[in-house]
Amino acid sequence: MTHFDVFGLTPALELDVKALEQQLRALSLEFHPDRFAQADARTRLAALEKTTALNDAFKVLRDPVKRAFYVLKLKGVDLDSEASAAQVKMPLSFLEEVMERRERLEGLKHARDVEQARAMADEIEREKSAALERAKVALERDDVPEATHQLGRVRYLSRFIEEVEALEEEALS
Amino acid sequence: MAYSDKVIEHYENPHNVGTLDKEDPNVGTGLVGAPACGDVMRLQLKISDDGMIQDAKFKTFGCGSAIASSSLVTEWVKGKSIEDAVTITNKDIAQELSLPPVKIHCSVLAEDAIKAAIKDFQEKRARRQSGDASAVKQPTTQP
Ligand code: FES
Repeated sequence: MTHFDVFGLTPALELDVKALEQQLRALSLEFHPDRFAQADARTRLAALEKTTALNDAFKVLRDPVKRAFYVLKLKGVDLDSEASAAQVKMPLSFLEEVMERRERLEGLKHARDVEQARAMADEIEREKSAALERAKVALERDDVPEATHQLGRVRYLSRFIEEVEALEEEALS
Repeated sequence: MAYSDKVIEHYENPHNVGTLDKEDPNVGTGLVGAPACGDVMRLQLKISDDGMIQDAKFKTFGCGSAIASSSLVTEWVKGKSIEDAVTITNKDIAQELSLPPVKIHCSVLAEDAIKAAIKDFQEKRARRQSGDASAVKQPTTQP
């Protein structure tokens, strides 16, 4: 059963998250373990499993990035898995760029230049959105290699942004 | 997540962090990334003409396991021939550092980096040799 199945949806890259949230609330009530306190063990277990599945599915589907990675996974490429992720090769020029940027960020960290780091993150955020859009187009077309490439970019760019966010947290504390 | 003592050791005191001259014909550079997390690693090897690894340096932007893995392999490959170095697998690394299964890609990164660095060196050497060959031919075509 896919995360989409849990909500009775067909796999889609665009979702109405508000509607999904409402559906989650309604279904969570319907399957709430308290309502099955008197039921037999099998029914109780089924209700519990349904609740867990709903929450797991919601976590993935609410987030456009996670959702795109999940749609790609349904098409056979799991960028989160330890094994298959190692087989996904990004072009060297891209990795070089990532390395350079991480080195630059390291320098900014030492200099405690949070502002400059934020400026880099903003630029990268834009690249990430563009890559995500391209990935979605590719997924619609069923172009798995291109979608893999674009979501690979998203992964590296997200990592960079996380680093900047951690730096900002640190600067605040 | 709890890291093993060996990971912490390497993480707190990583060996051979740094860079070698990328343009040096005897230096092979391996740049690899892990799409599972978005981290990157650069491993550079200085290799003698007869294929012995004389020096190794790394720069890793990644978790503690990745830093420990790269630190460990730089120690391992020094003094080895490139034939021996390519036989190092992520399993060897993960075992030595007691990495949990979710950290396998971090050691895969180190294995891939060794292979990429050696490949880079070999390609450079091949280019140089074909370059040498044309250099030898040149005098006959030029006055
Ligand atoms: S989590 Fe990224 S290298 Fe280990």
